[in-house]
Formats: sequence, C-alpha cells, structure tokens
Amino acid sequence: MDQTKEPAPDLSAFLASAVHDMKNSIGILINFLETNLPELAPDAQEKAAPMLYEVKRVNDNLIQMLAIYKIGNRFYPFDLVENSIGEFVREIAEQNKTLLEYSGITLDVDCDESLTWYFDHELISGVICHALNNAMHYTKDRLRLSVKEEDGELVIRVEDNGSGYPNSVLEAGNAVSKGVNFSSGSTGLGLYFSSMVAKLHNNRGRTGGIFLENGGKFGGSCFIMRLP
Amino acid sequence: MYIPSDTTSLFAGKSFLIIDDFQGMRSLLREMLKSFGTKNIDTVTNGKEAIAFLEKNKYDVVLCDYNLGSGKNGQHVLEEAKYRDLIGLATAWIIITAEKTADLVFGAAEYMPDDYIIKPVNEATMRSRLEKVLARKEMLVDIEKAMRDKNYDRTIALCDKALASAKVNATELQRIKTSTLLTMGRYDRAQQEFEQILAKRDIPWAKTGLGKAFFYKGELARAQQIFREVIDGNPAYLEAHDWIAKTYEKAGELEEAQRALTRCTELSPNSVIRQKSLGEIAHKRGDLETAESAFRKTIKLGQFSIHKTPAAYLGLAKICSENDAPAEALQILKDAHKEFENAETSLHVKVVEGMVYQKSGDRINAEKVSKEVAGLVKADNGHRAASIMLEAAQLFLATGNKEAAESITQTIVKNNHENTELLAQLNDLYDQAGMSEQGEELVNKSRQEVIAINDRGVIMAKEGKLDEAIHLLSEARTMLPDNKRIMINLANMAAMSMRQNGKNSELMQIAGECLRQVAQLDPQEKWCAQFQIALDAIPD
Repeated sequence: MDQTKEPAPDLSAFLASAVHDMKNSIGILINFLETNLPELAPDAQEKAAPMLYEVKRVNDNLIQMLAIYKIGNRFYPFDLVENSIGEFVREIAEQNKTLLEYSGITLDVDCDESLTWYFDHELISGVICHALNNAMHYTKDRLRLSVKEEDGELVIRVEDNGSGYPNSVLEAGNAVSKGVNFSSGSTGLGLYFSSMVAKLHNNRGRTGGIFLENGGKFGGSCFIMRLP
Repeated sequence: MYIPSDTTSLFAGKSFLIIDDFQGMRSLLREMLKSFGTKNIDTVTNGKEAIAFLEKNKYDVVLCDYNLGSGKNGQHVLEEAKYRDLIGLATAWIIITAEKTADLVFGAAEYMPDDYIIKPVNEATMRSRLEKVLARKEMLVDIEKAMRDKNYDRTIALCDKALASAKVNATELQRIKTSTLLTMGRYDRAQQEFEQILAKRDIPWAKTGLGKAFFYKGELARAQQIFREVIDGNPAYLEAHDWIAKTYEKAGELEEAQRALTRCTELSPNSVIRQKSLGEIAHKRGDLETAESAFRKTIKLGQFSIHKTPAAYLGLAKICSENDAPAEALQILKDAHKEFENAETSLHVKVVEGMVYQKSGDRINAEKVSKEVAGLVKADNGHRAASIMLEAAQLFLATGNKEAAESITQTIVKNNHENTELLAQLNDLYDQAGMSEQGEELVNKSRQEVIAINDRGVIMAKEGKLDEAIHLLSEARTMLPDNKRIMINLANMAAMSMRQNGKNSELMQIAGECLRQVAQLDPQEKWCAQFQIALDAIPD
C-alpha cells in the first residue's frame, strides 16, 4: 500500500489528551519531590534537588508549546482580568520556594502590594516562572523580582547577581523585541513565547514587550517585561 | 520570603468534596487540604457518584476535575448541580483542568465555576485561590440572593454599595450590575456604564456588553461592528462570537450567522446549545448536510447534559424525512418520545410524525396521526408554543383536516394577534395549500375579534370602570392564555386598581401570573422588569 495515501492523523486530538496525562504526572512528580526532599539525608538532597529543576523545565516547555500552538491557531482563551499584584507575586514566590531553598538562592521581592493590573494570569505566570527558572541557572546566589508601575505600564523585572547574559542571548532578545523571526534552541522557544505573550497584551494603542539587558540592582542579567 | 498565613481557622470548619477519576490526584488533593487544616473531606471518582453525594450532603467547597473519563465531565456535573439546586449560593465550585478552554473561561455566566485552576496543582496556588474564592463568595452572598430572587433594584443597590467601599472585585461587581441593567431593559443606562469602563481600559467583557446594549436597542450595524472589534482583538472570545451570530441572524444575514456559529462550535466543541443553534440556522438555510451533522452532534453531546433538547431530535427527523429516509426519521421520533416525557414534546413529536408519513406518501397513517394531533390540541386548549401550533396547522392543511386547521388558526391568531411575523407565516401556509383567500379572511377576522375585546377593556378602564375591565380581560385570558397584550393590560389594570384601593390577594395573583407568563413567553419583554418594580412599590 502506498504510504503517502495514509491520511494524516488529527494531532490536536492526541495533543489535548496527551497534555492532560502529562500534566497529571508532572503535578504528582513535583509534589512528590517537594514533600520528600526534606526527609532525605543532606547529600541525597543535594543530588535530588536538581531533579526538581528539570521537572519544572519540562512543565515550562509543555505550557509554552501548548500556548504557542493555541495562540497561533486563534484558539487560546486569552483571559484579560484584573489581578492583585501582591497575590500574584506571593503565588510565584511560593511556587518556587522549595527549589530556591535547595539551590541556596535568595529571592528578593519588591512590589507594590496595593497595585492591580489587567493581564492573563496563566500566561504571565508562565513567563515569569520561566524567567526565574532561567535566572536560577545563571545566578550566583541571589535573585530579585520587582513589579512596579512606570508611565502607565506594568514593569516586571527578574534580575540576578550572575555574570550577565552572553552577547548571543542579548542579541536574540534584541531581535525578538524588534519582531525579527529566529529559531534556535530552548532560548529561542522561551524568548519567542515571552514575546508572543507580551504582544497579546494591548491597551488603547499600546502593546506589551520584553527586553533583555545586563545590569540591574545586582549587576547580572535582567529580564524585563512591560505590559500596558 | 513569603510566609503563608495561618489558614487553619478558615479551613478547619469547612466541608470539601473532591471529584477526580485519577487516584493519584485524589490523594494529592486530599493531603493538600489536610495540610491546610481541613478535616471534613469526601472524595468521589465520577460524575454519577458526585451527583449522588451532592444530593445527600451540603459542601462549602467542591474541587472538581474537568476530565472525568467517560460519562459526565466536570462542567456537566456543575451545570446539573446548579440547575437542580444541589448546591447553595455559598458553595464555591472550583474546576481543575489540564488546559484552559474557551468554554471554561468565557462560558455562560450562570454556569461558570467560581474559579479554575490549571494543572499542575501546587499547594501555594491552591491555598491562595481557596482563600480568595471563599472571601469573594462571602462578599457576594447577598447579591447572589437578590439575583436569584430576580430582585433587580436590590441587586443594583447592593452592587453600588459594595463598589463604593471595595477596591477588590470591582470588575465582578461591575459585571453583575451591568448585566442586571440589561436584563431590566435599561439599555441607555447600561450603555453609559460600559462606556465609562471602556474609557479607562479596553476590556472584552465590557465591550461585548456595549455591543449587547446596541443589539437590544435595535442598532444592529453598530452592535455588529463592536462584536467584530472584540473578536479581532481576542479571537477566542466566545461570547462575542455568540452575539455576532445572533446579530447576523436578526439582520437576516443567515449565511454570515452560520459562519459565526461554525466558529463558535470550533471554539466550544462540547456545547449542546451552540450545536443546536448551528443545526437550526443551517436547516433554515437549506444546508441539510451541515444541519444533519450538527443535530447528530447535539444529540450525542446532550447525553450527559441538562441542556439536552428535543429540538435536535425533531430537526434531525425532519431532515431524514426531507432526504427520503422516513424509517430513520420515525425511529428518531421514537427516541425523542422516550427521552423527553412531557406533553409539549409529545405533541411536537406527533406533529412531525404526521408530516413524515405525509411526505413519504403514506396517506392513511398521515391522516390517522393528524386526527390524533387534533385531539391533543383540543385537550390542551391551545396552550402550547406558537411554533408547534404552526406546524400542527401545516399538518392539518396537508392532510385535508379543514376543521382542525380552521380552529387552530383562530387559536394561534388570537393568542398572538400582534406578532406580525407569525401571522405572515400562517398566511404563507394557506398560500402553499392553495387557500390564500380563506387564510387571509380567517386571520383578519380572528385578529379583529381580539383587538375589539382588548379595546373595550382599555376604554372601560379609562372611564374608571376598572372592575369591569379586569373582569372582561380575565375572561379573555382564559380563552387566549398566551396573548401578551391582554396579559400586560390586565396586569397593569390590576396594579392600577391596587394603587387606588390597596393590596388585594386576588389581584396580586392575577398580576403575578400574567407577569410570569409574559416573561416565559418573551424573556426580552421590557415590560416585565418595569412591572415588577411597579408591583413591588404598591403599599400594603
């Protein structure tokens, strides 16, 4: 039989059910690691902690690919609602608490508690968790998450005290913010996702964006997202 | 570092129900809740068990997985629980889902969960969401009660009061307030509110609301333009797609309406109601292929849903009949009769059955069914939906049952003498039967009779003979139980009489019955909300 005549399967149906299964499994893995890490002996803890980092990367990538697929096909239910910045930042800090502790990294949080802002909770939380996870990889021992209003825009900064982004990443970030298309490795996926999410956020003629630079409060790399 | 607040006091006394088909998730959620200080936790594995537990127990919080394997999904369980009043206003319902879908985020407000959590679920998110939802439920409990009682003035007053003090949840209060204004028929006020919100920020729900206000005011082009803008900015915003379809349909642009509904069913593939609407529009346009497929999907999706509807069965049976497959049509009608045990559906099924026989050339059975239908209509005293009566009239004319045709025509006209569209459809039926003149004469005569009675009542009332007018229209109402104009006038007269002479239980009952009946016949009738306010204002 001619193989080319075989009809292509409807991948989207598989995708949805596969994601459903994978998310259940990842949830249980993350929860298992977070509950059981404290009970391990110190040297075992040191060996097991990076597994949590790896599982979170899998989760990030899954979220990113699914969102990109859906946004591209005009199926993503973009849920623009008012979020309390205090609550949002607390949730993010709490979600990353275990990993930070075991990696010996301090997270400084600097935000305007009383502020509220319109954005899609799932997408922005996906972008920020991904940025934090990245920064954990590059930092020495300290991160800073700041969320402030500047010129009528919400500015979210993730900064670290590492040695900063290499030039290639800065260039990729620069290209993305100028709308240039590129594709290379996992930096590519993360940046593409973050930039796509930022651009979905519009208000009265202004559009969101992401920016990469070196410097910030600790002199390391800074991931910046601006939302109108 | 953030230290979680002590939530033991908040969670200790609360009862929880966990609905999840996956053992691993059930124990994960249970352990989480226990660590928050909860003691009272039930777990079930599927929708059927969930309903059984909800029938027996009251819960403060329900955590429900969206995907529950075969059978009902989480949304079906929620809809049934709300529809059957198995959960109270204070119960918080949280859906846990692997992926965010348009249905979940932009679904119908009355069947929305209080919150949704996207997997993977972690303790931090779960605790923070639960705290938030419980606080919000508590704040909204009075407002939700007023909404359920259809006490619109009170709903708005409570929203205004809460809006003046609270900074959080302002959006939710604004949404409730504006949708209440639309329900009350106060479109200009609603438009103003939406425009004020939009002056500060482009928000899809407010913009869609503005479009609705224009739709109700009859400014269809403007409404259409606004819905289009919402969709351009937010392509998966389901509600705007629903409304643009409605707007096209009302403007008579059926092809565009069908296209919009097709998009709705792509975004919301599990919605019984949207599949049904698509089937009906396609059927109306003569696109039998699309209609057939949509009706089949409607029936399949309706299996587990409270939204299952006889319309899909009847529509599909008609299409099978048109496609010269009478045996299948009759089988579908049998299924419908079994699935829906109510008098109105039974009548409708009979009518379609008669038409199927007639179309297939089986005159003997067609005439037999036609006689049965005539008997049912007579027994019902004409108290059935006008659309069904119209189809019955068509059957009588097709099978040569002249006497029944004449009688039902009179009933339809007298109950709907101001509905020009319906009267035109009735005239068309007589045209098709080659009886144009008889039809026109019958329609006109019946119409004049009702107008005469109604006018007599109004004149009596103006002359101050309120009691006589009420008596006259009450009698007319017994004969014409679905005539909106007569009910509205009668209710207004009853209210007028009570304003002059004080409250009176008999008049109160008449006014209340008319109000409910008109609201049921025409949910868009502006008079209802205004009359409710007038009725509430009558002193004891």
